[in-house]
Amino acid sequence: MVLVLAIGDLHIPHRAADLPLKFKSMLVPGKIQHILCTGNLCIKEVHEYLKSLCPDLHITRGEYDEDARYPENKTLTIGQFKLGLCHGHQIVPWGDLDSLAMLQRQLDVDILVTGHTHQFKAYKHEGGVVINPGSATGAYSSITYDVNPSFVLMDIDGLRVVVYVYELIDGEVKVDKIDFKKTAATQSAH
Amino acid sequence: MRSDPLEASAWVAESKPQKRFSNLRSVRWRIDLRVLPSSSLATIDDLRRAAADARRRYVNLRRRLMIGHHAQKDGNASANRIIDNPLSQNPDSTWGRFFSYAELGKMVDQDLCRLYPENGDYFHSPNCQATLRKVLVLWCLQHPEYGYRQGMHELLAPLLYVLHVDLENLSRIKKLNEDCFNDEFNGISLPESDLLSNDRIRRVRNWDSGIEVESNLRKKVTDNTLDALDPDTKEMLSLSDSYGAEGELGAILSERFMEHDAYCMFDNLMDGAQGVVAIASFYSTVVGSNTTISPTIEASLALYHLLSIVDSSLHSHLLELGVEPQYFALRWLRVLFGREFCLNNLLIIWDELFSSSNDSCVENVDECRFYILCSARGAFIAAFAVSMLLYLRSSLLSAEITTSCLQRLLNFPAHPDMKKIIEKAKSLQVLALESTSTLSKTSPYLRPDNYWEEQWRVLNKDEELSRKNGISSASGSIKKILTGKLSLSRTKSEASANAHADAKFSVRRRLFDDMPKSTEDEKHQDISNSCEASTISSDTNSGMSSLAILADNCMAEETLSNGDSSLVLSISTNPHEMDNDHENESVKSSVTSNSFCGDNSEEAISTEEPCYPNSEDGQANNMEEPCSQNLNEQLTQGSEANSSGVIDASSEQIAAAKDRKPSPGKFKWLWSFGRGGHPEGNQESQHSSSPEHIEKDSSDMSTCDETSTYCGATKRPEARDKKVIDSLRNLGQSMLDNIQVIETVFQQDKGKLDSLDNLSSNIVKGQGRAIVALKELRKISNLLQEM
Repeated sequence: MVLVLAIGDLHIPHRAADLPLKFKSMLVPGKIQHILCTGNLCIKEVHEYLKSLCPDLHITRGEYDEDARYPENKTLTIGQFKLGLCHGHQIVPWGDLDSLAMLQRQLDVDILVTGHTHQFKAYKHEGGVVINPGSATGAYSSITYDVNPSFVLMDIDGLRVVVYVYELIDGEVKVDKIDFKKTAATQSAH
Repeated sequence: MRSDPLEASAWVAESKPQKRFSNLRSVRWRIDLRVLPSSSLATIDDLRRAAADARRRYVNLRRRLMIGHHAQKDGNASANRIIDNPLSQNPDSTWGRFFSYAELGKMVDQDLCRLYPENGDYFHSPNCQATLRKVLVLWCLQHPEYGYRQGMHELLAPLLYVLHVDLENLSRIKKLNEDCFNDEFNGISLPESDLLSNDRIRRVRNWDSGIEVESNLRKKVTDNTLDALDPDTKEMLSLSDSYGAEGELGAILSERFMEHDAYCMFDNLMDGAQGVVAIASFYSTVVGSNTTISPTIEASLALYHLLSIVDSSLHSHLLELGVEPQYFALRWLRVLFGREFCLNNLLIIWDELFSSSNDSCVENVDECRFYILCSARGAFIAAFAVSMLLYLRSSLLSAEITTSCLQRLLNFPAHPDMKKIIEKAKSLQVLALESTSTLSKTSPYLRPDNYWEEQWRVLNKDEELSRKNGISSASGSIKKILTGKLSLSRTKSEASANAHADAKFSVRRRLFDDMPKSTEDEKHQDISNSCEASTISSDTNSGMSSLAILADNCMAEETLSNGDSSLVLSISTNPHEMDNDHENESVKSSVTSNSFCGDNSEEAISTEEPCYPNSEDGQANNMEEPCSQNLNEQLTQGSEANSSGVIDASSEQIAAAKDRKPSPGKFKWLWSFGRGGHPEGNQESQHSSSPEHIEKDSSDMSTCDETSTYCGATKRPEARDKKVIDSLRNLGQSMLDNIQVIETVFQQDKGKLDSLDNLSSNIVKGQGRAIVALKELRKISNLLQEM
């Protein structure tokens, strides 16, 4: 019953002013246990805000982040799952599944969270999961202007992870749910 | 009774007719709490069915409330998802419930880890803690209006404990009588030593883990072994077997269903099971439907009321120190004395408590003044609390300050004589139940127009009679009535009344002489003569009449404190009054009179002013001050210091009210009573009288003889007794009305204060006291209405 928030690419203040109000009202402290932030916040205030939601905050460096001390990759273990975090601008072609899979194998994680494309994606792939939470503010990206604000909440419970995707489409919050189960025999040593 | 459970239960068992299952507390309590049918005709099978039903209900409840959010398989319904995601703000979503469950669990855990450290070997075991936690959280989810409050866990813990104890006994007995509990097949046991059968068993077990073997066995007990058991064990056997009605679900003593049983017991205890007393009500501050005060306060008042009936000196002492009952009663009530006694003693107390039925003993509960006293169980709770207070009587009486009093109350001695306390509580319970039937919240209140005049005439007549008989003659009726009415619930003996009275009388006279007779101020200070009522003593009642007069003009209070009775007289500064002083044989009478500038009321002792509304001219404020003052004195039976203070204050106010027209005499107030025009001070006298004095109150409203002569007309009173009783009731009602009027006036006229400059200083001082006194007024009126 561990709730992990995956969020990123806010680009505040350069490309967006703030999170959408509906998202902000949903993100209340006390419910979420971990936050994985893919990067491109960009400023310290956003960092503080995310820290207020949950003290356990993990960030990787995006190309526009003003704080240069964030790492490029990060891995952590939550429950039975190993999670990996990376911004994704380092992986070329951007958003390419096979390249991301390479990173997943390299980091040896079950769940890989990346961003940069500002598009939500969730792949089940080779016994693991690759998740792209998109841009939480709907900021335009290098690739496209048509971006819906979105973020992802993962509910890790034993060997099962339920991924809730929150998207702001036409001013309404739409929630989607994807179930992933980690088979007991899965070995992530590839 | 020391804290020896065996001895205790033995004593309890022998002291009352044997009830079913009296050695199995959990079953007994479940019957008492109505989880199991309480009819004595209920067979074991009926009990089993009831138990099974209760457990089923609990399981359904649990399933409903603890629904996991994973239970939903329909992951494609997007609307569902919008509501049911973890971040949903919707409190009804499964996630919302999950979070509230987690929060409640955290709160409960905080308390559970501190539960019963001295019996920690059971209560801190993980099983017990988990069970307690689950039951509490589920109950709180089911009753969101209460939430979780500290103390609920202490109510639940003994319930679980008795279940556990009985199960331990059961397993002990099982071990001792293994033969009877074995499942034997056709009488042939399967000994381990038999190689062949061993082999067979092992093979069977390998096939399907031995389940098949066990389910095929039938329970058969050989007759001799069964008969050899004593009836208790037989009973336990029948209660615990899994083969009666409802199978294993119906096994009354079952370890598997401890949680279910504990929940049912707890639920019934908190809700009262359609009875009167619901412990949950003590946890809420929500006002009851037909009262204006919260249940805890009401119960505390009931407690004090019962105490005042039983031991008014202790009661008055506590009131004097300002020990409000809810300071300690809150803890006692919420945890049903769990914090005051060790666990074993508590179990004994709860045995008694639960064996009292919770059904209402009065036909119309709405009419009952104290809701808690409407049932035997509630009465026992109140009676037990009073019994505890009486147990500490000597140390409480010797306490000088409030905090030491409270300290003694909140640290009950560790090894009290349980037998004594419980027996006393039982006798008090009877008393409480009796008193409930005589209490009535509302009394018929009819006030004919000439009511007051009639009252006054009645009083006049009595006064005349008393005059004729001389000072020491007993118009004992009047005096006793006055005494009765005026006394603050003194029921027991102030048997030394007469002797006392004489002493006081002389003292009083001296005090009267000392009193400044300066002003003939019609503004009467309130008189509070609070004297302990000498019960039946036929004392001279002349004092009573003069007391009424005393309420006339400015009266100062005089408080004579004795060991257990304090006499507070309001001394009139009216010179006329002094003449009557010698008639003030108010041995122990408490007269509270408020003087109202606008009206006269000669009903000094009897009633509140019907013309009270007339006084709403800003002067009421002034009157309230003295009123409140005096009332305060009266009620608290303050020490002499009080009286001097009062006297000073009254003189102040006397001086302040110089703008009043001088009183034409004490008769004025009597005469113009009800006319409402005379600017003399009104008096409102209040007194609380013990019920025993009702009969004496025939000529209650004593007025002075002079008034009778002045007024001239005297009508002969009718049957006094009936009238008295009625008038007393009306008294109380009118007092209440007047209090309300006072309060409203007080609020309204705050603005008018400035216009009365000479009164302003007093008002400023008096306001605070007035409010307090008004509360006292209310109390008095309540007491009076008991009659």
